[in-house]
Amino acid sequence: MKYLLLLFIIITVALSCKKDKVEHVPTPYELKIPSHFPVMQIPEDNPMTVEGVALGRKLFYEKKLSGDNSMSCAGCHAPSSAFSDPNQFSEGIDGVTGTRNSMVLVNVGWNNFFFWDGRAKTLEEQILIPVEDPIEMHDDWTDVMSTLRSDVTYKNLFFEAFNTTDIDSTHAAKAIAQFIRTMISGSSKYDVMYKAENNLPLSASEQIIYATVTPEETAGYDLFKSLNGADCFHCHNGPLMQVQKFSNNGLDATFSDNGRGDVTGNPSDFGKFKVPTLRNIEYSGPYMHDGRFSTLEEVIEHYSSGIQMSSTIDPLIEFASQGGVQLDAYEKDLIKQFLLTLTDETFINNPDFQEPQ
Amino acid sequence: MRALKKLTVLCLGVLSLTSCKSDDPEIVMQSSDPLKVTVQPVFGGEDLLLDSTYQTPEGYDIQFTDIKFYLQDVRSGLNLLKDVALFDYRLRGTSMIERTGDVVNYPNLQMNLGVGASVNHNDPVGFDPNSWLYISNANDMHWDWNPGYIFVKIEAKVDTIQDGIALFDHNVVFHIGKDENLKTLSFTDINWINIGSGYYFPLKLDMLHFLNNGTSSIDVKTEYTSHTMAGQEVISAKVMDNFKEALTPF
Repeated sequence: MKYLLLLFIIITVALSCKKDKVEHVPTPYELKIPSHFPVMQIPEDNPMTVEGVALGRKLFYEKKLSGDNSMSCAGCHAPSSAFSDPNQFSEGIDGVTGTRNSMVLVNVGWNNFFFWDGRAKTLEEQILIPVEDPIEMHDDWTDVMSTLRSDVTYKNLFFEAFNTTDIDSTHAAKAIAQFIRTMISGSSKYDVMYKAENNLPLSASEQIIYATVTPEETAGYDLFKSLNGADCFHCHNGPLMQVQKFSNNGLDATFSDNGRGDVTGNPSDFGKFKVPTLRNIEYSGPYMHDGRFSTLEEVIEHYSSGIQMSSTIDPLIEFASQGGVQLDAYEKDLIKQFLLTLTDETFINNPDFQEPQ
Repeated sequence: MRALKKLTVLCLGVLSLTSCKSDDPEIVMQSSDPLKVTVQPVFGGEDLLLDSTYQTPEGYDIQFTDIKFYLQDVRSGLNLLKDVALFDYRLRGTSMIERTGDVVNYPNLQMNLGVGASVNHNDPVGFDPNSWLYISNANDMHWDWNPGYIFVKIEAKVDTIQDGIALFDHNVVFHIGKDENLKTLSFTDINWINIGSGYYFPLKLDMLHFLNNGTSSIDVKTEYTSHTMAGQEVISAKVMDNFKEALTPF
């Protein structure tokens, strides 16, 4: 009996001495989605959390993600350039330049495919690629994660975001994806015009903005949508100002870059690229997949008179055989004035998207 | 008294027997088999492939680049098979409708070709995110609240110069919508095909028949575009009529 009692006491003491496992339940993050936007589909295996977004933001600006600790994601997606690169081609850490212009990061959470050629099907998948791309950040995720794991601050941040210390590159990608999904732009003058056009209620501040819409901006919007005018809205419409598709928009008669065609191997996809959003286009130049146009005037001129015929040109470029939609100078100016309504300063300058201190 | 006793025993016996009978409600054999409606675009006798070359009745080479359309309120009497379905040949192949249900409930089907006026002008963000009418799913099949959805979208490229040089520089774009162009389809005595794992109802969309069905033809050299705008009523109506005629059971 004595031994039994002793054994019981020993077991009880041993159990009571066992260290409690530390747990952290991340705080759900509520996305601020504008009322006229669709819901954003969030992957089930990467729910939005406050801690995940904070970690993703820090990682987005983290230069340790590159081979020589000199470049972060923001290097090619600068806030001041609508989270794109003002250079035609981005230069990697080895001084090598790419062949495509850096895409803007805005409302990316609604995209169905990523990169100009759509080779990544999820945002998480896309984020993993530039870090190891030799012409971009030229690093190795194993090394990156080893560095991050040895950093106490990151170790804690990852734990708070994912409740684990067993972290790898997928956790980093998930965190950055969470941050990028918060980068929502829906407060431009265009948004107010769009809501008013569709009889959606305007807030007091939106009514004030609506009162500032000029006749030229309205005329530009009408021309933008007109089938016999600029005919832009087939590919750029709705709150996101883009449709989810690949298109050959008549840049070249022959292709130096096959775009989507190199992903699918289908010659019918040669020369097709992802249709980008036009949001914040004022700041997101240069334009097109190869950044060939520096100004909005050049872009408008392309659609007006510079269309090149080819075997895969989008049938929606209906005036292709005439070289374009043939706008006069006044109409081109109207289109430009409308395009400027897509600027969302509150998005560009949102402190939540800037580099954390 | 003896007879009364016997009668009582008999009654009790009958009662006990009938009370032992289990309740026998109407037996309903509810099955939930996978049911599929498919649409195979064809060009005459062969399966149609996007971006491949076919010849119109007028002799022009044509390459279809996009075929999409809505079916809405697909039902057999009171039995709704699907509230709305979007066909997108490039993205989803021949798939039109997939659900589970009891095939005996759908001996025939009626539906809208397009989107009925009762929902055509609703806020596209207001639908269930899983609906094909939801703005993200409709994608380029929604114009704006008014005129609403594109019912039928056909895009193609045509070589109208018969000189042996392949130059598909003539675009064909039919984007047909608006309430007045809504059509109804009705298929009776449907032969649901049992494929073991479920049933399917195959439809074919004959684009050659669409271009010329014997009574109505579309010459894509001269009739090549409609966005259902003012002045395009005739071609819009013709596209819908011919499309309806071209969509038939296999």
